[in-house]
Amino acid sequence: MSSSAVEPEAPDLVCQLDNVQGMVDALTSVRWKRHQDAVVELSEHGIVLIVEESRCLQAKVYLQRELFIRYEYTAQGRPRFGVSLGLFVDCINAFSVPGHSNTIEIQYPGPDMQLLLKSVDSLGACIYAEIRTRIPDMVSWDYNFEPAGSSPLSFTVKSAALKEAIDDLEWPGSSIQIILQPVPPSVTFRGEGHGDLQIDFMYYVNTDLLIAFHCDHRVSYRYKYKFLRATTSNIPGSVIKDNRGSKLTIGRGGMLKVQHLVSVARPSIPHPHIDSAGYQQPSRIAYIEFFVKPEEDEATANDS
Amino acid sequence: MKFKAFLTDNGVSLLEKRFLPALDKMGRTCHLFLTREHAIFLHNLLNGDGIQSIAQFRKEALFDDYRISSQNDDRIAFSIDLSLLHRALRSVITIYAEFSGTHTGTGGASTSNRLQIKLVKKLPPHSQQPMPFLTFETKGYKSAVIQDVPISKPLSRSDVLELQAALDMAQDLPRTLVQVPDMNQLQNFVDRMKNVGDLIDVSITKYGDLHLQISTTLITLGAEFRKLTVIGEQAQVPVGDRDLSAQTRTQRAIQKGDAMTVQVSVKHFAKSLQCHLAKPDCAFYGIAPQGACLTVIFQFFIPGTRQTDKSISLHCRLPVLDPGSS
Repeated sequence: MSSSAVEPEAPDLVCQLDNVQGMVDALTSVRWKRHQDAVVELSEHGIVLIVEESRCLQAKVYLQRELFIRYEYTAQGRPRFGVSLGLFVDCINAFSVPGHSNTIEIQYPGPDMQLLLKSVDSLGACIYAEIRTRIPDMVSWDYNFEPAGSSPLSFTVKSAALKEAIDDLEWPGSSIQIILQPVPPSVTFRGEGHGDLQIDFMYYVNTDLLIAFHCDHRVSYRYKYKFLRATTSNIPGSVIKDNRGSKLTIGRGGMLKVQHLVSVARPSIPHPHIDSAGYQQPSRIAYIEFFVKPEEDEATANDS
Repeated sequence: MKFKAFLTDNGVSLLEKRFLPALDKMGRTCHLFLTREHAIFLHNLLNGDGIQSIAQFRKEALFDDYRISSQNDDRIAFSIDLSLLHRALRSVITIYAEFSGTHTGTGGASTSNRLQIKLVKKLPPHSQQPMPFLTFETKGYKSAVIQDVPISKPLSRSDVLELQAALDMAQDLPRTLVQVPDMNQLQNFVDRMKNVGDLIDVSITKYGDLHLQISTTLITLGAEFRKLTVIGEQAQVPVGDRDLSAQTRTQRAIQKGDAMTVQVSVKHFAKSLQCHLAKPDCAFYGIAPQGACLTVIFQFFIPGTRQTDKSISLHCRLPVLDPGSS
């Protein structure tokens, strides 16, 4: 690497992605309001985008290096920068014009610390963008997610059903109680506010809906409706269409983790067969994680 | 002041399926300007700083048995609500088609069943004042239908003169025009660009480049289309230009006098692309001399040929918000 000394400094990252729409879908799923500041962290493993709200809700999008057709990472450490999520998504979306080459190259940093994007391989037409980045001002507050005990407290539910249930809970609003109990194995969402609404997912009644269930003792936590809603409000249509499942896990102190899988598969390769779980090559999946803190009073009641 | 004509089948389909949907996107109301030879739909020619659009039809393109008379050199102009006009036309057509449909093959149908359009003054219900209407009249197999579309009072002589003057002014052609490669694709792109900013820089070079760029304090987003068909003044692509960035290339072309840049509203630009609803066969963008406006000209071919149909013309002029560096 002796030649690098005379050349202008190489960017930290140059990568190419051949499915822009997949990236738009993945990023859109954590866009729960108009103006959101995101922190992007680069590493040799891929790109992670983090958004946070009121110290109660955090979302992460993992774009692993396997999603990219080219991934050249030369930085020391893990560069981080801040960017407006809305602008970033709107901008990438401009690259996913139907009938146009969908391969983009992403580079960071540009001469003025910008994030540089450009379309590649399109004859006679070129799309380019420069997005101003910020020094991330978000306090790096990690949502330490630890298992609640020796055995996991988790369930996997069809994403569409989860979204529908959470949408329905808008009516009682404000605060939603999630109850997991082993006998009978079931998950209950209960809202009390302007009215009462209870939605039960019974494990044995409908195994198509509740795909997996792990719980050895009853737990119950309350979460703010607006945070719960953010976890499914922008779930991409492709996830619903592929009939995927979302995994919800309750950790120590009632911290709720919601995981979605978003396909970043190349659209030109048709999938001859997608089974009911929507299984695809793991390398072509972007992982989305939400962490929701429970409301205070209930958490202490459970820990006792 | 009299106007009476019969809409031809071709005229009906041109208006109903293509032009009215496109023109409605330009703005709900427009002027309809009728002369001895032409029917012209005009947006924003007299008033406002919006996008100007001019759709001109030679009378034979829409009508037969076209009769017009006025004391103002046989010219009549009024403003009309395009969505009402479209609705009225659609309603009349359902009856009209019913009749034509059952009688095709009998031969006499096309002459006996006709769709008449005329200007009338009528007393609307609950009113003492007669009001002007553009009226459609046809008969079906078992029914007849009359649709009255309310219009403004006909424009005064001085207003008509002003409209004619504005129309004459709007005919100046840009020196260089580049052909849009794929309107649908461009519209798709511009619709997505709209979320990023409000103003768009449009640069057109004599080499056949169309360069669009939105630039705000936070973001620059652009697209460059190259090697487009050029009409008018052309120039050879400079050697060594290929490996430069789109921005640098455009800057150099402007310095050499081979390009012009104007800034227009993204909304206007997106609107101008909506004209593809009129199903033009091609579209050209150009910048008027001195950067006065961004012009888009749509071309229509005689069906089944690649010859321009001179009886139909459509073009838009987008107001320039910043004279640019040209």
